Amino acid sequence: MIFPADDVIADNPRASPLYAAAAAANDANVWTSVNGWAVARVFTSVEKEYKAAKDGAAIADLGPLSRYAVRGGDAALFLSRVTTAPAARLDPGDSARGLMLDYEGGVIDLAEVSRLSDDLFLLTTPTPHARRLQLAARGLDAGAEDISEAVAALGVFGPGAGEALTAAGMKTPGHEVASSAMVRGVETAARPMQFGALPGVELIFPADEALTVWERLVRRGGVGPIGLDALETLRIESGAPRPGVDFISADHARASGRRTPAEIGLPHLAPLDRGWYNGRRGLRYTAPKPTRALVTLLIDDDRSAPGAAVFSGGKAVGRITSCAWSPTAKRVIAFADVSRPIDGKGYEISVPPPAEGNVPGKLFETAENILARAYLAAQASATDSRS
Amino acid sequence: MSETQGQYQFAGRIEGGIDAIVVGAGFNGLVAAAYLGRAGLKTILLGASADVGGGVKERTFASGLKYPDGEHLVSHLDPVMIEDLDLYRFGLSYAARRLDTVYFFEDGQSLHLSGDLLRAGGVEYEDEDERAAFAKFMEEALEAAAFLRPVFEPVGGDAKAFDKLIRSAPAGLAARINQYLLASVDDVLDAGLPSGLFKTAMTSEAAFRAGAAPNEPFSFMELLRRWSGEVSGLQGALAFPEGGAPAVIDALRRAAQAAKVDIREAVPVSSILIEKDRAAGVEFEGGGQLRAPLIIAACNADRAFQRMIGPAELDLEFQRALLAPAPKIAPASVHLALSGVARDEKTEENMRRRLVYAPPPAKLRRAFAEARAGDIPEDLIVETIFPGALDGGLASDSLQTLSAIAHPLPFDLEADEKRREAIQNAIFSNLEKFAPEITGRIEETALRLAADRAGEAGEKPSVFAARGPVIRQAALARAAAAGNIGGFYFCGPEAQVGAGLSGLAGRIAAKRALKESRRGGFS
Repeated sequence: MIFPADDVIADNPRASPLYAAAAAANDANVWTSVNGWAVARVFTSVEKEYKAAKDGAAIADLGPLSRYAVRGGDAALFLSRVTTAPAARLDPGDSARGLMLDYEGGVIDLAEVSRLSDDLFLLTTPTPHARRLQLAARGLDAGAEDISEAVAALGVFGPGAGEALTAAGMKTPGHEVASSAMVRGVETAARPMQFGALPGVELIFPADEALTVWERLVRRGGVGPIGLDALETLRIESGAPRPGVDFISADHARASGRRTPAEIGLPHLAPLDRGWYNGRRGLRYTAPKPTRALVTLLIDDDRSAPGAAVFSGGKAVGRITSCAWSPTAKRVIAFADVSRPIDGKGYEISVPPPAEGNVPGKLFETAENILARAYLAAQASATDSRS
Repeated sequence: MSETQGQYQFAGRIEGGIDAIVVGAGFNGLVAAAYLGRAGLKTILLGASADVGGGVKERTFASGLKYPDGEHLVSHLDPVMIEDLDLYRFGLSYAARRLDTVYFFEDGQSLHLSGDLLRAGGVEYEDEDERAAFAKFMEEALEAAAFLRPVFEPVGGDAKAFDKLIRSAPAGLAARINQYLLASVDDVLDAGLPSGLFKTAMTSEAAFRAGAAPNEPFSFMELLRRWSGEVSGLQGALAFPEGGAPAVIDALRRAAQAAKVDIREAVPVSSILIEKDRAAGVEFEGGGQLRAPLIIAACNADRAFQRMIGPAELDLEFQRALLAPAPKIAPASVHLALSGVARDEKTEENMRRRLVYAPPPAKLRRAFAEARAGDIPEDLIVETIFPGALDGGLASDSLQTLSAIAHPLPFDLEADEKRREAIQNAIFSNLEKFAPEITGRIEETALRLAADRAGEAGEKPSVFAARGPVIRQAALARAAAAGNIGGFYFCGPEAQVGAGLSGLAGRIAAKRALKESRRGGFS
């Protein structure tokens, strides 16, 4: 699950249940706010945190994301309606990613659905959607309860996540499947999650127990916290677009800013040949052909910034939406919103003054690209003539 | 009836070999079925009640005197539909096709306007300035109404077509339309008709059967909507079909039968089957199924989408528009049998007109506020016609029928006897303001409230309430008629903008269905 855009002008952000622990561990003391919650951008140094997550394990406060407990006889139907995740086909313990679309097929938000039991689901979205969920429940035996305020949530990322949890005495079978159990006396829901390509586990527990769980992981599991800036690098490397940054929610966007799943590189999250979801008819019958694309670029220059113009064949075709320094690639990596068709040979990116001219940017492959391509190839070979 | 019911409904029976099913045997359902049948499709029309026509039918007073119930005049009957279905051959005819209107005012004055609205501005009136202002107002409003006609028809697929239409208007007209789109009745009239009887008359005309009071924004469009229709080639005209509105239903029914439509009555449909994103058939309350690749729903949207298809298949935004609360205002109609039939020529001539009581605008505003709060207003707009005078076939030797629609009245979920009497008395007291002797002649009364119609049709009463702003209605109509489920089309009341018999929605749904069937599938 990805953090949405930070609200740079948020006044007096709220403290999440893990704030005290995060603040104590924060040497750099660089903060921002997400959905009105205080979030640390850097704890020690971006590169150190990045390396720890890549090679071992790191923990992040996922409190600012919106979480809903979805219950009722029609809970699966409700989630299959409001998100593109195939909730009805999930067995207890399964999780699925999806998107929230409006009726025309414009992307509103990302979503993750986990089935904890037959009639209890967990829905996580980067931004809150109380009104939309309320509307979607009309006529169905289902309800979404906003539990964001009542729980604390912690993500343990990296290849060493399992080890760290074992060391902290918190390893349960639940980490391979979504489940809830009493762990060391704390009612904890755990579910596997992906932060981009990084495997991880998300732990959700009552807000009162927040500090206990954090301390246990840091002291016994030996993991350090990771801030938003290091997460940003991991995110762009894996090709996961960030709502509010790489695309604007269809709820807020003007007509020219609306994006379909294919236009943000996530066509595989809104398949047209499975069950119905809100926006599928729009995508299938009325949405125009994709005209934009979100591409990931490697840029041979470290001065690029969001907003820089992207050129192809001398013509301006779009802009950089987000970028970060990748210690692995030893380059700046960036998301760029460009017009189709995608130029296979690469792009040029403008450089801010005082330097002049453009620097080359090359497309690179991400985990998300691979999934999208596999989906499109399967679509092309499918015999369903209607799509 | 019970025999056929058993035949079609027993659980487990699945009937196939059908090209198209039309659910709902109201006006638009008949139109759609007749179109499909004429195109050679094996079509079945399913009515929930024992007779076709929805609420439009002939009823009888206790004395046996007949009166047509439902719409009492037509103003929007789709001319293309009439020609396509050959309705004149199947018995449609007009007893009066250009009803003049006489407006009566609180102070006893009256104003007689021609039924040909384009000539209404030429009325004889003492103050020439006021008359000239009225003539200019009529000319401008009628021009805008004719131009905006496509907006009131759920033809275009999206809002872009609407924007394009408005941009295509000549500069002067475009500016006026932009004003009309947002304006209240009062705004427009204050600018064009500052005072006098014309203003009072037009305020009532615009507010009649509307959900919004004349001082509320967007309310002026209601008047343009009304004037956008045409009857036998005359814009904004009102006509009385021979035999009343039920005779139009009969003509349609004959047209449908001639097109070999299989009309099955009293077979309530419980759900529309959606399989693989396509309509596949219908299921009856008894459990049996009828399968066909094309389904047209001509019942109200709440029933068709919420109950028959189910919320899990609906776009959220569309469902939200569908469930938006209706204005808490509804018109009521009252049918009267009066003793004694006038024989003198002047009275007879007057009775062949549409008589409207137009309360002063300030009192009308208060009436809307009171009705919304659940109180019965003192002042009501009352539209009255005398069916027996208009149509000899409905006349009786000893009794005279009167049909009146009063607006605005509170929207009652259930009305007890006391409440009904109060509503009836309010209507009578307004009737008396222009026809003082009438209440003494009443032999029989039939009061028909929105709640009565809802109860008979087994629908939510809100289906029969006044509708919201015209532009919102138009957006909902476009969305409802868009047909995004393969093989499923909708032409219920929500696919139409405004009240009244039109048939346009049925024609459009059927044409779309036929296009799909010719193409051999939904793409």
